[in-house]
Amino acid sequence: MSVLGFILAQCLSALSQAAILFFIACGLTLIFGIMRIVNFAHGVIFMLGAYVGYTAAVWSGSFLVSLIVAPIVVGAVGMAFERIFLRHLYGRRDGGAYLMLTFGLAVVLSELIRLIWGAQPLSSGIPDALRGIVIVLDQPFPLYRLFLIALGIAAAIAVWQFLERTRAGLLIRAVSQNSEMVHALGTDVDLVRTGVFGLGCAMAALGGVLAAPLVTAFLGMGTTVVIDAFVIVIIGGMGSFLGSIIGSVLVGFVQVLGAYYFQDLALAFMYFLMLIVLVIRPGGLLGKEE
Amino acid sequence: MLTRPTATRRTILKGASAASALLAAPAYLRQATAATPIKIGIPTVITGGYALLGSQVMRTCKLVKKMTDAKGGVLGQPVEFVYQDTTGDPATCVRKCQELVERDNCHILTGVIVSSEAAAMLPKLEEWNAIFISHGNGDGRLTAELFVPRFFRANTSAPMGARALALYLKDAPEKKFIAVASDAAWGRSSNAVFEEQIKKVGKDLVDKIYAPVANKDYSPYITKILQSGAQGCYVALQGDEARAFYSQATQYGLAQRVQFFTEIVAQADIKVLGKDAIGLMGSSRYPLTYDIPQNKAFREAFMSEYKNEIPDWTDGEMFQALMILFAAIEKAGSPEPMKVVAAMEDLDVTSVKGPILMRKCDHQGENQGFVVKVAKSDKFAEPIGEIVKVYPRELNTPDCRSSSFSK
Repeated sequence: MSVLGFILAQCLSALSQAAILFFIACGLTLIFGIMRIVNFAHGVIFMLGAYVGYTAAVWSGSFLVSLIVAPIVVGAVGMAFERIFLRHLYGRRDGGAYLMLTFGLAVVLSELIRLIWGAQPLSSGIPDALRGIVIVLDQPFPLYRLFLIALGIAAAIAVWQFLERTRAGLLIRAVSQNSEMVHALGTDVDLVRTGVFGLGCAMAALGGVLAAPLVTAFLGMGTTVVIDAFVIVIIGGMGSFLGSIIGSVLVGFVQVLGAYYFQDLALAFMYFLMLIVLVIRPGGLLGKEE
Repeated sequence: MLTRPTATRRTILKGASAASALLAAPAYLRQATAATPIKIGIPTVITGGYALLGSQVMRTCKLVKKMTDAKGGVLGQPVEFVYQDTTGDPATCVRKCQELVERDNCHILTGVIVSSEAAAMLPKLEEWNAIFISHGNGDGRLTAELFVPRFFRANTSAPMGARALALYLKDAPEKKFIAVASDAAWGRSSNAVFEEQIKKVGKDLVDKIYAPVANKDYSPYITKILQSGAQGCYVALQGDEARAFYSQATQYGLAQRVQFFTEIVAQADIKVLGKDAIGLMGSSRYPLTYDIPQNKAFREAFMSEYKNEIPDWTDGEMFQALMILFAAIEKAGSPEPMKVVAAMEDLDVTSVKGPILMRKCDHQGENQGFVVKVAKSDKFAEPIGEIVKVYPRELNTPDCRSSSFSK
């Protein structure tokens, strides 16, 4: 096995891990950036995406369909939650109310998932087209992980273009900077918030569908990944989309290389990285210090 | 003048009532005792990452209740299981056990999922006047360094699972091994014994990997396995960790390069992995196809109750633990904890896994060792672990109050 091949394989592994992390961190940072809400239910939303994706794949027999259906369904659930519950808290200045409400959503959704799908882990597998390995400089690498990297890059570009090049993206950015001014100019800010919350949930759900073939869909699958996502958001800067991309890649590399070279300290490395960033830039790499 | 005592009608009636009450009392009391259930506390994982194992514990308890009550109960008393959710957290587990003992009056505890939960309970058993029968806790230390008189382990421990595999691998063609274990008490305990045993049989352990608990990305470890040049890979992961590892290893085509030997072959994993699980070898805590009447009866009752669901190792081990417990209660003639302890010591029963001896010296149940290979089956809807080799219980159980084997 060549050294170059080994390094390349590790880099690809890190990027595939970063792709999964990006989907969940991106949603989290969008929601925080626009609504100033730390969504504690984001991990469970990710898990819900995996379960809905499983059902969609079983019913349709297509992994592609699950990639479309799960974000739509879970995005709709997120929008409904925002409309019914969250918006009543917007006038309040204490962040604790949001924490409690989203934490409550996490508990309720977890139990609903258990009641609907049961405790048995589920996996619809990966489609035949994405099975198999490619040999990269004598090193086997799964085709599915290459697919994850490609989809992660495509999604990052798509969201970036959406935020930068479309009118809806312009409104989202405007609301994140001064929602009262945007409201005064006649824009329905509530609608923007609902849309962003739904988009954030849809992104997490897509991450859940993509993660299921790697880890299977199981109760608790969102617990650790949401902690990673929070670390990414803190590293990248709360509310910064570009920061979430950089944070995902950094954490992906730290996790993969840390696990390979420093097994016993693998978990600590991610937090060590966060600590360094916070010491140098308290607001995160691309965030603003408030 | 002497007055003769006169028995008035009222006196006679009073006396008759008292006499009939006295005569009737034992029958009444017997009836009250029969109606009083034997309460067994099940502090298990109902929510959280280990909820699957907890759900298996509970479904087996429900089946056992149905079967036992249909036979007239234990000592003529019905059995009642009281469930509490520990979430897999040791501190929560201790708190829930306290509730089970003090509020629900359950002085017999079983169904605990995580070894660290079990370890946290042991020092409290005397204070609670409770006994605890493990159905699945694998950490070798529970019947060694952490031994307490009120704890029994009916199940195959981690050292025993590793031992069965090591015995099998002695004659296997693979020479070089690598080990992947969960960085938890159970994983480290399993791996320590595997390392000791595999070296004893003259094979080489080239590297060992401890993956953090709840790890999700195994790609760095898979790369390490590929690089190691090992022909066999010992895997001491279970539940979500095991499924993630095998799913990702399959995607890397690792099974074509390395033979996996897993510490626990779980039906839940086989079900999820499907055809990718075929060929997987490992130690079995509950050999589904073991051909003895006790196992056949359990398997058929289980599959009939749960619509052809195949019992997993947790189901088999839970069933065995309860059968041993009931045998001890019958022998003691009482569910009183210390009487059950005395009765369970050196109790020798034939369970779904064959002959089990609850040895007195450390309260470890001597279980046979089973090595299985996952294969398709005509009798079952899913691939299952077919028995490859059975090792006698004496050979498969560590030295007393130890995780090591001198035999």
